[in-house]
Amino acid sequence: MNGQVTLPTSGSEALRLVSVRKVYGTDGTQVTALDGVSLSLRKGTFTAVMGPSGSGKSTLLQCAAGLDRPTGGKVFVDGAEMSGGSETELTKFRRRRIGFIFQQFNLLPTLDVLQNATLPLRLAGRKADRRYARDVLTRMGLGDRLRHLPAELSGGQQQRVAIARALVTNPSVIFADEPTGALDTRSAREVLGLLMRAVHEHGQTVVMVTHDPVAASYADSVVFLADGRLAGELDRPTAEAVAERMTHLGDRTARRDETEV
Amino acid sequence: MFGLALRSLRHRAGGFLATFVSMVFGAAMVMAFASLLDTAMGDGVPSTSRTSLVTMATVVGGWGLIMVVFSVTSTLTLVVRQRGDEMALLKQVGATPMQIGRMIVVETAVVALAAGLAAILPAALAGRGLLSLLVSSKRVDGGIHFAFGPYALGIGLGVTFTAAITAAVIAVRGTVRTRAAESLRNAATGDARMSRKRKAAAVFFLVLGASLAVTTATAMRGKGSDAMQTAGQTSIWVSIGLALAGPVLIGRVTAALARPLERMGGVPAYLTVQYVRRRAGRLAGTLMPIILFTGIATGTLYMQSIENAATAASGAVATADEKTIETLNFTVIGMLVVFSAIMLINTLVAAMTYRQSESARQRLVGVTPGQVLRTVIVEGVILTLLGVVSGAVAGLFTIVPYSIARTGHALPDIGAGTYLAVVAAAAVLTLGTGVGAALRTIRVPAVEAVTR
Ligand SMILES: Nc1ncnc2c1ncn2[C@@H]1O[C@H](COP(=O)(O)OP(=O)(O)OP(=O)(O)O)[C@@H](O)[C@H]1O
Ligand SMILES: [Mg+2]
Repeated sequence: MNGQVTLPTSGSEALRLVSVRKVYGTDGTQVTALDGVSLSLRKGTFTAVMGPSGSGKSTLLQCAAGLDRPTGGKVFVDGAEMSGGSETELTKFRRRRIGFIFQQFNLLPTLDVLQNATLPLRLAGRKADRRYARDVLTRMGLGDRLRHLPAELSGGQQQRVAIARALVTNPSVIFADEPTGALDTRSAREVLGLLMRAVHEHGQTVVMVTHDPVAASYADSVVFLADGRLAGELDRPTAEAVAERMTHLGDRTARRDETEV
Repeated sequence: MFGLALRSLRHRAGGFLATFVSMVFGAAMVMAFASLLDTAMGDGVPSTSRTSLVTMATVVGGWGLIMVVFSVTSTLTLVVRQRGDEMALLKQVGATPMQIGRMIVVETAVVALAAGLAAILPAALAGRGLLSLLVSSKRVDGGIHFAFGPYALGIGLGVTFTAAITAAVIAVRGTVRTRAAESLRNAATGDARMSRKRKAAAVFFLVLGASLAVTTATAMRGKGSDAMQTAGQTSIWVSIGLALAGPVLIGRVTAALARPLERMGGVPAYLTVQYVRRRAGRLAGTLMPIILFTGIATGTLYMQSIENAATAASGAVATADEKTIETLNFTVIGMLVVFSAIMLINTLVAAMTYRQSESARQRLVGVTPGQVLRTVIVEGVILTLLGVVSGAVAGLFTIVPYSIARTGHALPDIGAGTYLAVVAAAAVLTLGTGVGAALRTIRVPAVEAVTR
């Protein structure tokens, strides 16, 4: 490990994972999805997480975002340790510090665009920022769609609403799990552009899982994952460099699979 | 197709349980009353007893029949609608609407057959019970042999089968034909708009109820307990009319209550209000059994109380005939209570299953499990209130005219105790089922519930 991954704890740290493990299943059919992942990310950075299918990327994001509980290890967001308490405690922790963007958007179908985007504010009891939400939506080109329901929007538009929803509370970290996975190339570029601007113009911290080397090249750095372990890192990535690293990772995993069989 | 239907049945045993239970209950009910016809046709049955048996079988059994058709149709519609996604998927891989339709119909036929067979034993027991009830109330002579034969089996199986298949065909036609376009439009418009057919039916039943109410209060005045013949059914028709108008009721009332509810209940209330307004059409299915239950139970129970009070006031002792009528009334109510309860539980569980992914999404955005639960409670409270108020209105359509006909006063001198008991039962059923289903939803981790 080199560079920012091993940076010591400091006030500029947005996310820190310490030996995070995640084991799914019970005795007979245990799967170790994360095998001791330690990681530290500075504020205002855009990080991509890449790795072969099944390497534990989604699990990593969900554990880091408090959507799932790690089997072992610690997670700090903005210096605060994530509680291992009840779902209610965890939810309240998430509300203030974390935004999450899903591949399948996960907007509430019975709320319109503005209602969806402002829901996190309502939940946090923050009425005053409603205008900010409107601004964010307008900036994303949804100003004339505020009263539409998700079912009336295209995939790209829905994902923009989801991004707005993740941004409105000004969270410490925004996680995105394959946010462009369900979108066409053009919508995908728009979404990536929005995430990049959130980082560079508004100082947000974004962690994004992706399979697309081009998408990863929008990030400041790429973290690679294989078999639930960190497998290297790439600063200022280009699509070509990322693609090449991925090929090697794939080879390694495939070779190991063959020897195991 | 048959093989596919069977396999799909095996995988969705849970979903079909609701349909199965309501069918078994319905079939048993119809068979039990039809077995009185078998009994009446036996050798050496005196003609007066024969008449009583046939009357009981056709009049009370007839009401039972309507309820069977009603409950089977509503559960099946729900089950089929719930499978919209699966059907869309089948269509994508190349199944024609015809094939999908046939699959659902075959599935339904298999379930109906199983339910019909399962109903035979309980039906025979219930039929025997009915006969001894009639004997002990001296409506039929003792010593008549109970028979369970072609009438019971033919009518019971026939009705169950026909009702089930017809309901399946109707439900499938609606779902298969309009799915994609409709669900989008519904989501957009709030699906509170009612089809013209539904509106017409609602108006028809309300007008029918109103005219029967007028008839009871005028033409049946002073005719004694005969007024029950018109008064008794009034609350049923009005309940059905109001139940059909459900989407509009839900839409209007929720819109009116939105502000105070949100002020009191915070985010959970806000989420519920949005949900209820946009899903009024779907929730009308849950409202229906609450209205039917409250309306018919209130109407019939108070009618019987008025009758008993009037008989006592006139100094007369209740005759055997009047006793039988009372028994019949309570039998009808008993049937109804069980039916509405089954229907209510079915619709609520179906609604919650449908909501599962929505609740999971709420949790992912930061709604706590406790808040999800409160959302469901607020929804239950809205539905219960709407249901019991509409039910009270429907009940009054029976109570007021009957009281006028029997005593000359518009309102009987009877306390609200009975109504409150009915309301309590409705509330316990609604909230109990809703919260139970919600608790199960919460136990599943949100991430899994959404991706599943
Ligand atoms: N709920 C679960 N129960 C059991 N095993 C699981 C569960 N979720 C994930 N796994 C397993 O954990 C491992 C990591 O899964 P994960 O979803 O994190 O992979 P991923 O890197 O996101 O893959 P993909 O790129 O395909 O999305 C896999 O082997 C997967 O089968
Ligand atoms: Mg994944």
